[in-house]
Amino acid sequence: MPDVFSVPIFLVTFREALETVIIVSVLLAFLKQTLAEDKALHKRLVRQVWLGTSLGLLITLIAAAALIAVFYTAGANSWETSELRFEGAFSLVACVIITVVGAALLRIGGMRDKWRVKLAGVMEDRRGKVGEKVGRRVRVKLWMERYAMFALPFVTVLREGIEAVVFIAGVTFTAPATAVPLAVVVGLAAGTLIGYGLYKGGSNTKLQVFLVLSTCLLYLVAAGLFTRAVWAFEQDAWQRLIGSDAAELGTGPGSYDVDRSVWHLNCCSPIYMGGSGWGFFNAIFGWTNSATYGSVISYNLYWLCIMAYFIVMRYKEVKGHWPLMKPKKVAAASVSGGSRSGAEESVVSGDKSVVRDRATSVST
Amino acid sequence: MRRSGLIWLACLAWHALVAGAATVTYDFEVGWLTANPDGAADRPVIGINGQWPIPTIHVNKGDRLVVNVLNSLGNQSTSLHFHGLFMRGATHMDGPVHVSQCPILPGERLTYNFTIDQPGTYWYHSHIHGQYPDGLRGPLVVHDPDSPFQDRYDEEIVMTVSDWYHDQMTGLIDFFMSKANPTGAEPVPKSALLNETQDLKVPLQPGRTYLFRMVNIGAFAGQYVWFEGHYMTIIEVDGVYTHPAEASMIYLSAAQRCSFLITAKEGASTNFPFMASMDTDLFDAIPDDLNWNVTGWLVYDDKKPLPEPAEVPGVFEPFDDIGLVPWDNQTIFTNPDQSVSLDVIMDNLGDGANYAFFNNITYVAPKVPTLYTALTAGEYATDPTVYGTYTHPFVLAQDQVVEIVLNNLDPGKHPFHLHGHDFQVVWRSDDDAGPFVDSGVSESEFVHVPMRRDTAVLRPNGNMVLRFRSNNPGVWLFHCHIEWHVQSGLMATFVEAPLELQKSLSIPRDHYAACEKGGMPTVGNAAGHGTVDGNRKVVDDGAGWLDLSGQNVPPPALPDGFTTKGIVALVFSCLSGILGVSVVAWYGFANGISAGSDSDTRGGQRTTGSGSEGTSEGALGAGLGAGKTSGEGTTVDEVGRGDVDQAGGEGRRR
Repeated sequence: MPDVFSVPIFLVTFREALETVIIVSVLLAFLKQTLAEDKALHKRLVRQVWLGTSLGLLITLIAAAALIAVFYTAGANSWETSELRFEGAFSLVACVIITVVGAALLRIGGMRDKWRVKLAGVMEDRRGKVGEKVGRRVRVKLWMERYAMFALPFVTVLREGIEAVVFIAGVTFTAPATAVPLAVVVGLAAGTLIGYGLYKGGSNTKLQVFLVLSTCLLYLVAAGLFTRAVWAFEQDAWQRLIGSDAAELGTGPGSYDVDRSVWHLNCCSPIYMGGSGWGFFNAIFGWTNSATYGSVISYNLYWLCIMAYFIVMRYKEVKGHWPLMKPKKVAAASVSGGSRSGAEESVVSGDKSVVRDRATSVST
Repeated sequence: MRRSGLIWLACLAWHALVAGAATVTYDFEVGWLTANPDGAADRPVIGINGQWPIPTIHVNKGDRLVVNVLNSLGNQSTSLHFHGLFMRGATHMDGPVHVSQCPILPGERLTYNFTIDQPGTYWYHSHIHGQYPDGLRGPLVVHDPDSPFQDRYDEEIVMTVSDWYHDQMTGLIDFFMSKANPTGAEPVPKSALLNETQDLKVPLQPGRTYLFRMVNIGAFAGQYVWFEGHYMTIIEVDGVYTHPAEASMIYLSAAQRCSFLITAKEGASTNFPFMASMDTDLFDAIPDDLNWNVTGWLVYDDKKPLPEPAEVPGVFEPFDDIGLVPWDNQTIFTNPDQSVSLDVIMDNLGDGANYAFFNNITYVAPKVPTLYTALTAGEYATDPTVYGTYTHPFVLAQDQVVEIVLNNLDPGKHPFHLHGHDFQVVWRSDDDAGPFVDSGVSESEFVHVPMRRDTAVLRPNGNMVLRFRSNNPGVWLFHCHIEWHVQSGLMATFVEAPLELQKSLSIPRDHYAACEKGGMPTVGNAAGHGTVDGNRKVVDDGAGWLDLSGQNVPPPALPDGFTTKGIVALVFSCLSGILGVSVVAWYGFANGISAGSDSDTRGGQRTTGSGSEGTSEGALGAGLGAGKTSGEGTTVDEVGRGDVDQAGGEGRRR
């Protein structure tokens, strides 16, 4: 059995595939549900998603080829020296993207039409019509929204892929090469299948519930990625300190810095030997068997910032001004006219209310 | 610095002039010098009287040796241990600091004074803070006019073999015992030396027979030694004469000695290389630039070239010392009265560094030197408690057969050394044999006439059974002679017949003075508790002598899983996660609940959606700062445009 099927490799590829497909499927589901009416735009954005995915895959394959070439020519575990830095950097980038896009996803739910319209505007490159006076922030926002469809799957696939490649390459040197192919194929297939199921399910769920729940999941993943990035950088520094010993320590004493440790279990590692089931906890909840001050604080800090952000946003939406800032005198009108009553007005006045609503906000 | 050729016939002749036992006195001023024995790096070394390598001590069996030490190091304390000498009646002259004496502080003096009744090859070295690999290590030869091999050789050649570092031990130890070295990887030597130099030339005359007294004075590496074209005839190991045994290659662990005869070839006209090769199995990693071999030459004709040594064998097959038979044919000590079982374990403690353990105890020096505790504790001296937990004491009664069962639970070789005795190696397993109790080996399989020596190698994951007779009252360390493992605590203390010591032993003033200078107590248990009266007799103050509070202890164990702070951190993180997700969900539903309904129901609720959409957009707009108006204009414009473009779209019905 171990000669033909490596369980660690299966788990790693399964996990990486699932993580990738979850994010890709969220995007696809979103596109499908938001842009159902605009086939052309939908097609275009879907293509972007797939472009990001396949470009990520391509780079992964190139990296894999390069890595394997390096292994066999240098014969050294050279990837070990930079593996953690890669993981940290990719985790951080993925975390930032998920965080930014996540907020957009939530708000998008409430403004499907405008989103569609704006995206259409962007995609058709009709900014020229509006002239050079397009707001910088708006442009950035549009840029982000435009590129999110490409960047998110790209970075995700790249990170997961390189992680998997590096791991598989690493394990290949300790396990017979015959144990790799079946495990990789089954892992990828299972991950993709379950991801596809989620995509299908997601498409049929009510949009908002799906968006909110999947955004919650995404933020969980993002928080995990953030703590993982901090952890990876710390672990990288530690492994540089202890030098060549790192590989032989597994999860035992010496695999972590006692002075930074908050807890350490000599088991349940999400990384060591494929992480087994703990890898899933790591991917979704950011679990680690070896928490550091840095990883714990960063995790909590991340959530604090996210909570603060959403609470402030909500406050602003309801009250019409930022917390701790007195509403301006003009704003008094906007508070009454802005959100709640404005909404009621809009029932009556229809399209114009949107325009006026906006104008009111501007004056705020 | 060629000393191999030193021939001590003159010295022997001098000794012979002195009828009976003589007193041999050495005045040693210990100080720093600079040396570069391998031609690769100048470094500070510890020499004696301005010389390095330090002198070889020569005495005759029965002589009294007096060594007056002056510590001129300036920045380090020191001490001298005379390795392999039994120190009968003079355990206080044995040398280990915190065991039988206090350190000789910089600028201070101390005299070692004892008689030697054993023949053979020994060495002397510092026994404090891993100091001797810095250079304070040299041979000590006890010549024996009554040697059974007296007529078998013409000349003696004393030869040391050793590993060599380019950095001082203090820095190396700091790294070795740090969290940055969690596997306890021992620093790898930079080179190997013969007589503290390389390319050693040993002049031989054809037909003559030479007694080579070879000592491994290294810190760490065992050494394979072989002479091309010549056989060795082993006649002594660690001061114990053996029946002659032929060998083509020997293995000397750190601290082991071997005397062998080599007969120079008749009519030889070429020179022969010989080689010492460090046992690289011990090294955690082998640096690319390490040459673990060192070459010397048996020089028959110094005008002839020195040939390159032949290829180093891929697999070493040295002579197995377990097959040696002592010359006196002493048979195995049977029915041990006391058996001590010691498991060798390497593990990490709470400071992250890697420590070595006998059973569960890693050695930590006591506050009061163990000998002084034994001398002052009165009848408490037979209770191991008074010597402290971490000196790992075993109290031995007098004239008993003591057995040490060693189980190596570590994959490394460990050369174990007992002070004050040699021991019979009655059983030694091969590699990976596991603990002795599990091996099913019985007494009948033990060696009937076992080899005796004072340093024996425990095989990787193997086991070994040693026996000796407790006929030498004293305080004797039992430890691995890899100096790194001395630092990481692979030591135990045997306190042999302490009540006998109290009767017979008196400590010279200068030894107590060393303690006073260092502010170290000379009375009390390992923690310094317990009192004596003016005559140094125990005042029974209740539990004082058994009170170990405040004793020196190793770092705490690594936490096993979650500690309080870990649980708090995990609970907080979980709460953060749950709260965070709740907030995200709350915002999502509050913000866009309309959108959810939007797709199902048309009407009033939908407009709420557009309302909140507007505000959220407005919020963003407000947050922009720059280009507010134009930004908003754009948005409005877009909406307007969308309005036109997507006429008939769902949103336009607002």
